[in-house]
Amino acid sequence: MNPVARSAVAAPADPVGARPSSRLEIDGRLFNPYSKDFIRSPWDAWDRLVRDYPVCWHKDLQMWVCSSHDACSEMLKDTRFSTNYKNWEHAPAPKPEADKNHFEKAIDAGLFAVEVREHLRLRKLTMPAFSKPVMMKIDAKIRDLIVTCFDEIGSPATFDAFEMIAEKLPVRSIARMVGVPTDMENFFHDFAVNVVTATRINLPLKRREQAIQDTLPGFQYFLDLIRQRRAAPHPGDDFVGSLISASDNGDRLDDYSIVSVIQAVIVAGSDTATDLHTYALQGLLKNPQQFALLKQQPELMENAIIELLRYGAFGKTPQFRFAAQDAEFWGQPIKKGQSILLNLTAAWVDPQKWPNPRQLDITRKMDGNIVFGAGAHFCIGTYLVRVQGGLMIQEFARRFPNAELLNGDGEVDYDYQHHNARRINKLMIKTHL
Amino acid sequence: MPTHQRWICVICGFIYDEAIGMPEHGIGPGQRFEDLPENWICPECGSPKSAFEVYTGI
Repeated sequence: MNPVARSAVAAPADPVGARPSSRLEIDGRLFNPYSKDFIRSPWDAWDRLVRDYPVCWHKDLQMWVCSSHDACSEMLKDTRFSTNYKNWEHAPAPKPEADKNHFEKAIDAGLFAVEVREHLRLRKLTMPAFSKPVMMKIDAKIRDLIVTCFDEIGSPATFDAFEMIAEKLPVRSIARMVGVPTDMENFFHDFAVNVVTATRINLPLKRREQAIQDTLPGFQYFLDLIRQRRAAPHPGDDFVGSLISASDNGDRLDDYSIVSVIQAVIVAGSDTATDLHTYALQGLLKNPQQFALLKQQPELMENAIIELLRYGAFGKTPQFRFAAQDAEFWGQPIKKGQSILLNLTAAWVDPQKWPNPRQLDITRKMDGNIVFGAGAHFCIGTYLVRVQGGLMIQEFARRFPNAELLNGDGEVDYDYQHHNARRINKLMIKTHL
Repeated sequence: MPTHQRWICVICGFIYDEAIGMPEHGIGPGQRFEDLPENWICPECGSPKSAFEVYTGI
C-alpha cells in the first residue's frame, strides 16, 4: 500500500493564512497520485494545487510538491535542487567502489550525478545523434519502422493503439538509434522500465532493490557490446561507436560513462514516449476539428506534438529533485536532503500560463513551455520523440483518415500501478475502413 | 574564420546565429555571442551561456 493510501489525513492548510516562513501543507485528500479517480481525472486536484498550493509540503507523501508553471519552471533551473538522489535524506549509505554493481557504477557516472562540466560534456556527445539540427536524419533512420508498425496493424475494423503502436514504436526506434537489434524490444523495454523504477523514490525500497537487480542483464549487454566494439578494428559509425570514439582533450569515455549515456537515451526514448502515442491519438480523435486542421496544415506537426503532450498531461509523479542545501523557495522553507515532487504535468495545465488549458489548440504559442523540462536536464530524447510522434500521426492519418475512438472514449483503461505515468494501456480505435 | 559564428546549446540544440541575432528578443543582427549579457539564457531550455559552444555543423 502506498503512503497516501494508508496514512491518516488532516484538514488541508488554509493558503490565505500562510506566512512566508510557515509551511504550506496538504495531504492525500487533496492530492493522491495513486488513486484511481486521480489517474482517470487529475484536473480538479491539479487546479487546486496550481492555484492555492503552488509549492507545498505533502504530509502523507513526506515530500514537497511543486506544481504551478512558474514554480516548476524556476525549480528546473535552480541548482540548489539536484537530480542526484544521493542528496536525498533517505538515500542508501555510500558503498565502497568494489562493492558496487553495474547499476550503481552507471548511475554514479550518469547524467543525473556528475558535476556540471562533465554533464555538459556527456550531453554534447549525444548531439550528433539526437539534437535539433539532425531531426531529418532521425526521420530517415526510423521512418521504415513506423511504416512496418502500421503494416502489422493491417486493415482491421478496430484495434488497440496501445498494443499495436505505443508499446512497439518507441522501443524499436530507440534501439535503432542506439544501434542495437530492433527485435529485442521486450529486453530494452524491461531495461528502461527497471532503470526508471530503481530510482523512483516514491516506491517501496524492496521494489526499487528488485528493479536494480533486474537492470543488471541490460547493463551487462551494453558493457559486453562496448568491449566487442573496442576490440574491433573500428568501433562503428553508429551511436555506440561514436561514444567509444569520442574524446575531449584526449580523454576517452570509460565504459560506465558510455553505458550511462546509452541508458539515459533508452529511458528517455522508450518508457515515457509510450504515453506520447496513446495520448496524442486520444487528443486528436477527441478533437476532430484539430485533427482535420493538422491534416490540412502538416507544417503544424511539431507544435501539435508539444501541444498534444501538454493537453494530455499524462504524468502521475513526473520528476523528483533533492535539496542540496537549505533553501527558501516560493516562501517555503525547504531543508537540505528533502525531496520535491516536480509536478510538471500539473504545470502544463496551469491556467495562469495556458489560457483554456483543457482545450487542445495545435496553433497555440508554446513559448516558455516546460513540456520537455528546462535547464540542464532538458529531455535528451525530445527530438527523437518529436520526429517519431510526427511520423506516427502522419502515417495514422494516411491509413485511417476517418478513425474514431471506439464507443466514444476508445474504451480507455489505465495501468493504475504504473511507476510514474497515468499510463493508458488500452485505447480502442474504430477505423471505419 | 567567418565574421559571424553560430553557437549551439549542447543541452537542447538551439542555435544562436550571430548574423541573424534574435530580433524578436531585441537582439539585433551582428550581435556577437560573447557580447550577450552574462545572465542571458537559452530561449529554448533556459541553460546558461556556458552550455553553448561554437557550432560548425553536425
